[in-house]
Amino acid sequence: MLKRTAPQAAVELDDAFLAMVAAWHRTGAPCDEAAFEAQALELFAYQFENNEPYARYAASCGFSAAKRPRTWHEIPAVPASAFRDATLATFDVARAELEFHTSGTTAGRSGRHFVQRAALYDAALAAGFDRLMLAEDAGGAKPGGRTKLRFLNFVPNPRSSKHSSLGYMVAYLSDVHGDGATAYLLDGNRIDVAGFIATCESAIVQAQPLCITGTAFALVALLDALEERKTAFTAPRGSRIMETGGFKGRTRVVARDELYRRLEAALGIPQTSIVAEYGMTELLSQYYDSVETRSSTTRVKTAPPWLRTLVVDERGAGVAPGEIGTLRHFDLANRSSVLAVQTEDRGYAVEGGIVLLGRDLDAPSRGCSLDAEELLALRDR
Amino acid sequence: MKVSHGLRNLTATQIVDAIADAAARWSDADFPPRVRVARAIGERLQYTEPVVDYALDKLFGTITRESLQATIAGELGSLEALDGFVSRAGRPDVRYAGFDSVAIVSSDTTIGVAIPPLVFAACAKSRVAVKDRSDSLVAAFIATLAEERSEFGAALAAGHWGGHEDPEALAHLSNADVVVAFGGAEALPTIRARCKPDARFVPFGHRTSAGYVARETLNDERATRDCAFAAARDALLYDGEGCLSLHALFVESGGRCSVDNFRRSLIDALDAEAITFPSAFEQLPPAALALRDAANFRQSQGSGSSYAGQTSPHLLLFDPPLEELPPLTPRTLAVYGVDGPGDALAFVCRHELPLEAFGVCGAERPDVLEMTVASGAARIARLGELQAPPLTAEHGGSGRILPFVRAISRER
Repeated sequence: MLKRTAPQAAVELDDAFLAMVAAWHRTGAPCDEAAFEAQALELFAYQFENNEPYARYAASCGFSAAKRPRTWHEIPAVPASAFRDATLATFDVARAELEFHTSGTTAGRSGRHFVQRAALYDAALAAGFDRLMLAEDAGGAKPGGRTKLRFLNFVPNPRSSKHSSLGYMVAYLSDVHGDGATAYLLDGNRIDVAGFIATCESAIVQAQPLCITGTAFALVALLDALEERKTAFTAPRGSRIMETGGFKGRTRVVARDELYRRLEAALGIPQTSIVAEYGMTELLSQYYDSVETRSSTTRVKTAPPWLRTLVVDERGAGVAPGEIGTLRHFDLANRSSVLAVQTEDRGYAVEGGIVLLGRDLDAPSRGCSLDAEELLALRDR
Repeated sequence: MKVSHGLRNLTATQIVDAIADAAARWSDADFPPRVRVARAIGERLQYTEPVVDYALDKLFGTITRESLQATIAGELGSLEALDGFVSRAGRPDVRYAGFDSVAIVSSDTTIGVAIPPLVFAACAKSRVAVKDRSDSLVAAFIATLAEERSEFGAALAAGHWGGHEDPEALAHLSNADVVVAFGGAEALPTIRARCKPDARFVPFGHRTSAGYVARETLNDERATRDCAFAAARDALLYDGEGCLSLHALFVESGGRCSVDNFRRSLIDALDAEAITFPSAFEQLPPAALALRDAANFRQSQGSGSSYAGQTSPHLLLFDPPLEELPPLTPRTLAVYGVDGPGDALAFVCRHELPLEAFGVCGAERPDVLEMTVASGAARIARLGELQAPPLTAEHGGSGRILPFVRAISRER
């Protein structure tokens, strides 16, 4: 039998992945462990063969063409920072359909995530958003037949930030689910409050449900500005907020329950319709707050079936459910880069997903040393 | 007209003597108040016992009669200038009057930083209010001072104020003539905003420290080993969380001992010093683990390397990318091989590192010394002594007693 060429293998992997996404998008039926495992191990083999920096790394972890991982848990995960240190791609990046850059604030340089086929990302995005963000119980309608949303985006405008994965994601969702009147209301660090108020007022007159997207930091800035103007709204029924990106790199942090309480008070959107999305430039799939826990103080993040996460200890060994560790993601959508990515994010596994925690939750605040975020804030002044 | 209080009735010499005697009692590790406070500090900050003891030994061991006299004489010309007018060659006579009221906001994350300014404000005969921490170190030391001389009890007070909106905190901050504040980039402007407009504000913000090993040091095996141990101590004390903690060490090539050999000495030294000053951490914090993982990945690509401690959670990064910030995470030290001081200075400038101190082995070489001056560091020290700043030196570029006094000149 002839060995498959790399392009053939890529097409087969993509077809299998897209079929998995389509099936779940259509039915919501979970993907069983064996199917995930088989696809993950096949993807590892493909990446080991076609992604040289990853192969070198896997070799340093003891793997070779002859000695491969036996389960998906064993697949070596590159640290997220590896996207800065090497071009992690299984193809000629000159032909990438998408190129995303990490912010590079603390490292002084950006990581780059090249995507060979946008269709994979688009499919994963659309299915995840439909099934998890717009889940019926949170006030949405069935996939395919729902009301269009007016997107008010406090994220980088993809026209000016073409390498922002967040900008791409929100733009894509705005195209698919938007009513055609999408507004981008973030310019650098400045939010367009007047623009927001005008758009909000017109949506209320038209009874047009909103989808407000933004980082927690941008949403706090919006709330502060609305409070300063003593302005509040009752957004049309079916409106929702997608909070994304958290407070990374910011010195002002507000507790999430306080943020959601304030958002509900200022915009009239119930807290159960405020959903935190958790993703990263290095991954093409996302977690969302599960419907069942949106009214709970501890929200569980749930992912589409092609994204799985191991919680690991400092040696990289998996820990028991409920035990805190760092998160290691395995994303089958990352066909053209690396499927296994080790993060700094902390959390623990529960039935149905993970609970995400702050990065240094258990470290006492000590000393008078500068940390990286403080240094960057000082440099920005 | 300022209200008079007990310290104004004492001579500067009497105040210095009493302070030195009280500090001597606190230098004894078995002094009961110190034992109680040391335990409370350990509970508050989770530092291990040897680390807390080191901090208290260094803090009180430097507060001697000689060091106080030398510092005051160095900054004001003489101790007597605090008691009356003194003549000066070619200039009018001068007397230094302490400001009436001083407030000191100590940091909740450090050990005893309020004590040196308290001591010098007392020498200036000011009334001092200190925001103490849960271990009540300052209150306990003031009690000892009051045992030495009752006048201290009336002039100095330590309390547990709340946040900056707490009425007691606001009262102290808004009334003080001098406010000394320790804290981060967010806290300091908040405190400043609550001071009266003409108050003298003396901020001590968060900073970091770096080190340099000149090639001459690496010509001698013993000196190389000593230097490695010195750097290890500076990196590990206080779990690398102080402004004097070493996070970036530049090692010059061209010595008889290669940079690689020095690195091996450093690995041994960190493992050994970690036993002397045990870590409060059971494992590296997530940010340091991420640095370790990143280094492992780079190593697999043929760039740099790392070493994770055997005897404690600590991390050495060898030749991490120059375009990245140095690792400002606990118990983490980056070692950069350099051709000369210019490389080190370029790194510091590139990242705009606010340096508190530069620890050096080989500072006698003029180009190394010039580099440390150009780096903006407020202090140049021998490696191994970064964490033991002398009381007789300035602090953060400011005088010790100068912030608490105003000069009155008299022409004759």
